[in-house]
Amino acid sequence: MSIEVMTLLFFGSLLFFLLLGLPLAFVLGGVSVVFLYFTWGFDSFYMVVSQIWGTMESFTLVAIPLFVFMAMILERTGVARDLYRMMYLWFGGLRGGLAIGTLGICAVFAAMVGISGAAVVAMGAIALPSMLSRGYDKQMALGVINTGGGWGVLIPPSILMILYALITGVSVGKMFAAGVMPGIMLMVLTTLYIVVRCALQPDLAPALPKDDRASWPEKFRALRSVLLPISVVGMVLGSIMGGLTTPTEAAAMGVLGALISAAVYGEFKWSVLNEAAIRTLKLTGLTMWILFSAHAFSSAYQSMGAQALIESIMAMIPGGAWGTIIAMMVIIFFLGMVLDPVGIMMITLPVFIPIITALGFDPIWFGILFVINMEIGYKTPPFGFNLFYLKGVVPPSVTMNDIYKSIIPFVLVEIVGIILIMIFPEIATWLPELLF
Amino acid sequence: MSIVSAFMKGVTRLNEYVGRCIALIVFPMFVFLILEVALRYFFNSPSVWTNELTQLLFGVYAVMSGGYIMAHRGHVNVDLLHSTLKLRAQGFVDIFTSILFFIFMLALVWFSFDMASESFESRETSFSAWNPPIWPAKGAIFVASVLMLLQGIVRLLEDIAIAFNLSYYDPAERKSHSEEGEA
Repeated sequence: MSIEVMTLLFFGSLLFFLLLGLPLAFVLGGVSVVFLYFTWGFDSFYMVVSQIWGTMESFTLVAIPLFVFMAMILERTGVARDLYRMMYLWFGGLRGGLAIGTLGICAVFAAMVGISGAAVVAMGAIALPSMLSRGYDKQMALGVINTGGGWGVLIPPSILMILYALITGVSVGKMFAAGVMPGIMLMVLTTLYIVVRCALQPDLAPALPKDDRASWPEKFRALRSVLLPISVVGMVLGSIMGGLTTPTEAAAMGVLGALISAAVYGEFKWSVLNEAAIRTLKLTGLTMWILFSAHAFSSAYQSMGAQALIESIMAMIPGGAWGTIIAMMVIIFFLGMVLDPVGIMMITLPVFIPIITALGFDPIWFGILFVINMEIGYKTPPFGFNLFYLKGVVPPSVTMNDIYKSIIPFVLVEIVGIILIMIFPEIATWLPELLF
Repeated sequence: MSIVSAFMKGVTRLNEYVGRCIALIVFPMFVFLILEVALRYFFNSPSVWTNELTQLLFGVYAVMSGGYIMAHRGHVNVDLLHSTLKLRAQGFVDIFTSILFFIFMLALVWFSFDMASESFESRETSFSAWNPPIWPAKGAIFVASVLMLLQGIVRLLEDIAIAFNLSYYDPAERKSHSEEGEA
């Protein structure tokens, strides 16, 4: 059978079983076993197991459960509530102020944790009811939480970046550094959008009435709430970027910071920690099982001789090098709607990265584009994790349809962000070059 | 039929128990990593064993999570089409797709046993400075695949009961078990 037909069958059966609802990890594993049997015979299954062992041996991946554990603990402490109160006192008097402040908290959360769900859950439970009761437009409030929550994977630390670094061989520290400026840029762009939109349609996000606004002493007292999060951020990012620890050890420092926060808020209890540990196992485990079988999948595909085929297809795309990059972005964008980020990475990166480097592009820069694209994937229907998280915590008056509609302008803003980073690669590459 | 439902309950309970124990491994991983940082910066004596032990623990942690997550139906899937079907139709579809699951799991059970027994017979070590035995970690792949295979059989039995309206399993139980997938 020719490689073209094999490829069609390979991805065709992948799509077929996915749509029938079999979990991604088993689809990837099962399809690769079947195809390995037809290309190399029974004994090639040993490769599937040795791929699992190879994945278990990666020290970088140890960071995943720790970053997740940290997020799970922080989500339970009062950190988010206090941050929201502080921002409410400071920005409530502005038009759209609560929305902008929520974005700010999401960014702080993103700098503490490496996953995208934690901020969505925390803000969906705290900021959303507050914004709705102050007369904010439903879709404005939902969109802000969805978009800000997604920054968890872009602003370092980030589990997606760790995985990206692992698959492509770039340094985790450089990836983290590269995410800082694009994260800030997206925050500025989104804030601009809110400011402009609220100037045009003031009733979308009204300012608090004069009597509800805080006095200056109150405002300054509330500032204390940022101390703890800032020191956690400092512990994690400082140890990585300062070259003191490996990213994995920095994740452990983050857990330490989260435990201290829990103690400060009186949540240092066995019940809280045990529940956080169990949720961590679930989240880490399902990522790892996708990774296990995706490793088998991509090596099965490569052992069938896929590399040459993909390179020749990519060569047929018009528009030269940039045409290729844009085609890749479009592919990832659509995959992001249906597949989860780890799966997308494992399927596309082994194919894309050799092409990227052959075309003379910086894999770190491409990584940032990739991660922003994944972050959009977290909030695009039908299969965006954040949408489901948010649905889980919102009041019943908010329907899934409201959530779907709310993200459209925010996705457009992020696409503008991707285009800006394409035109000005320095936004991503400047900081890593400065630091490393 | 009572044997069937006893088997189903037993396997699910076993996976639940294993998962709750495995989840606690995150604590020693955290402690060993912090210990290493402390040894390096405060006592100026980095150790040879903490990182490697953490990594072995992580391997066991990651691979052994599979059965627990299955018991909670936590593995992420695309339910775009699936969720629009009636419960019985879902049962039939799930019976069909489980073929691919069993192919994968049988390959895993078979070859992870090979790998683990080879490793055990040669008392394989990691050849690092610390040089610990690594066969227990390789054995964990086998144990994990068996646990997942068992849970997969439970799931198939559930699907059969749903598809053919059999009495040994009440589909209402599934509702209470299904939970959020996260990432």
